[in-house]
Amino acid sequence: MNPDIIDGFTQASQFETIIAVAAGCFIGLIVGMIPGLTISTGIIIVLPLTFVLEPEISIALLLGLYVSGMTGGSFSAILLNIPGTPSASATAIDGNPMAKKGEAGRALGIAITASFIGGLFSFLCLFFIAPILAEIALKFQSPDLFSLVFFGLTIICSFAAQSLVKGLLSAVIGLAIVTVGQDPMMGTARFTFDQVNLISGIHFLTALIGLFAIPQLVDNLADVLRGKSGNAGAANIKSVLPKLSDLKLMRLPITIGAPIGSFLGILPGAGGPIAAFISYDYTKKLSKNPEEFGNGSPQGIAAPESANNAVTGGALIPMMTLGIPGDPVTAILIGALLIHGLAPGPLLFIENGEFAYGIIFSFFWANIFNIIIAFIGLRFLVKVLVIPQTLLMPTIAILCVIGSYALRNNFFDVYVMFGFGMLGLIMRWLDIPIVPLLLAMVLGRQLEEHLRVSLIASKDDVSVFFTSPFSLFFLCLAAASVFWSLWVEHKSKQKQQSQASP
Amino acid sequence: MSNMRTRNLIAAIVLLFLCAGYAYLTAHLPTRAIENTTQPSFFPWVITFCLAVLSLFLLAQGLLPIVSTKTPAGVDVPAKRLVFGLILSIAYLIALPILGFAGANIPLFAGLMMLYGERRPIWIIGGSVLISLFVFYLFREGFQILLPAGILDGIL
Repeated sequence: MNPDIIDGFTQASQFETIIAVAAGCFIGLIVGMIPGLTISTGIIIVLPLTFVLEPEISIALLLGLYVSGMTGGSFSAILLNIPGTPSASATAIDGNPMAKKGEAGRALGIAITASFIGGLFSFLCLFFIAPILAEIALKFQSPDLFSLVFFGLTIICSFAAQSLVKGLLSAVIGLAIVTVGQDPMMGTARFTFDQVNLISGIHFLTALIGLFAIPQLVDNLADVLRGKSGNAGAANIKSVLPKLSDLKLMRLPITIGAPIGSFLGILPGAGGPIAAFISYDYTKKLSKNPEEFGNGSPQGIAAPESANNAVTGGALIPMMTLGIPGDPVTAILIGALLIHGLAPGPLLFIENGEFAYGIIFSFFWANIFNIIIAFIGLRFLVKVLVIPQTLLMPTIAILCVIGSYALRNNFFDVYVMFGFGMLGLIMRWLDIPIVPLLLAMVLGRQLEEHLRVSLIASKDDVSVFFTSPFSLFFLCLAAASVFWSLWVEHKSKQKQQSQASP
Repeated sequence: MSNMRTRNLIAAIVLLFLCAGYAYLTAHLPTRAIENTTQPSFFPWVITFCLAVLSLFLLAQGLLPIVSTKTPAGVDVPAKRLVFGLILSIAYLIALPILGFAGANIPLFAGLMMLYGERRPIWIIGGSVLISLFVFYLFREGFQILLPAGILDGIL
């Protein structure tokens, strides 16, 4: 057996790492279940901690939060019919009707169990696929890496936006922001306006805090003014452990949800909500009792929950092996690794094999602690839903400011964070997605570096991108994702027109 | 013209201006006299081209009904509150380096509590002072993150 696997397991099973995973799970469940707080916001809140903790401990904390955030989202979806996270939207369809029948505990138990199995399945995918993919990725040359990053960006744009043009615009704006600071090849200062603070560029974590947190605070203000809240404390939670009959019913949805979630997790930009709805839809089609769906079907809860938790392990595969984040959470994980001088990518398994496997096993522990804390602490955790927004939102606001300051101990970053918050609000008004911008900021320097290295090596011959089989393959995938997105957009336009003219 | 098309049109025009500004700055980037290499302005020119093309596409979407023009749900917050929030944030950003985190966070917290609808003075004062100081000490003493205390440095 690879000694890194044993060392990684030992590293992930250290007392401090386990405590960090458990703490992350606890925070994740709370953050996930509070409507209006996404997993990204939860990670932003704990971000300053990761600057001072050891890398393996900070990653363990973030992984716990990531995994449990997905599960926590289902709690409010079931109890209040308000999904705590977008990924739990499909869970509310059957979870809330079941809770209304007086079976809230049963619904929560099914959700927790399905999440656990989905997460465990994606752990196995991560454990077996990631090292193989990393080995393949080691063969990639600069043109291949450029095309891979390019494909990553196009597919993110395709998934994130209803309009491909807006998705691509968002990514290009992100790339333009990345050019601020030193040029990656020669160190020439670009667009710095003689500002010392701009020489090292704009950190994407600062941008992320502003882009996600400020629009969210405004959204939550709108929710508070609308009086959108509920009383979860009144929910009738009796036994939460699923019965044998429920476990039998869960076999089909989990068999569908876990692989779909793991696969869609690997695709950058697809994410939990898409996986949850696709697996819900397929389970409904294949179920013996499709008429029960929407009225509190256990299968309707298990399918999306197994899928959205399976997304987490899938999303870690491209992040760890290729350095490509699939969503804002994995982008933050990349940021946390980079802060500690660890670059995710195929070399992570070669140069820091123990650490790479440590991440994988921390993910395993995150799934274990997720189910333990969720089952044991469920009755206590749902009380968090009654915390007044008047205390919660200002606390998040000051934590965001501290997070952006602590990154480089610089007030300038606080101003930049605020500027990105305004940009996030403008982009929302224009229906331009923010995820492509963010991920372009993560991948931009790599994209430029690989493009320029390829052109220098080939003496400005662009055919180098089409002669390498890997590069050609990724470019074909990029083209396919663009055409697919255009086709979806065209269909959407047709649907809109047919609805407008009865 | 639908609401979304008007927004697209405005965005496209603003982006084209930004693109022109970016191109101007790119044209004035320093060059390096190294043979067989790409200049620092190479990638910004690629971005300029992409930004210009995409902005023109957006302009076309604003002028012609060629794509779905569903307007996203707006933020349903009264303008007064948004302006109050904006002024509060700007005042906070100005005060932050002077007052430090503890001193500036307390009024920000209190202002945000009021913005979110809290009206009880004891809750506002108690909540803003206790939570702001708790968070400040938690990060400064607990997690050893050097949060400046500004003019309150000798007191806190």
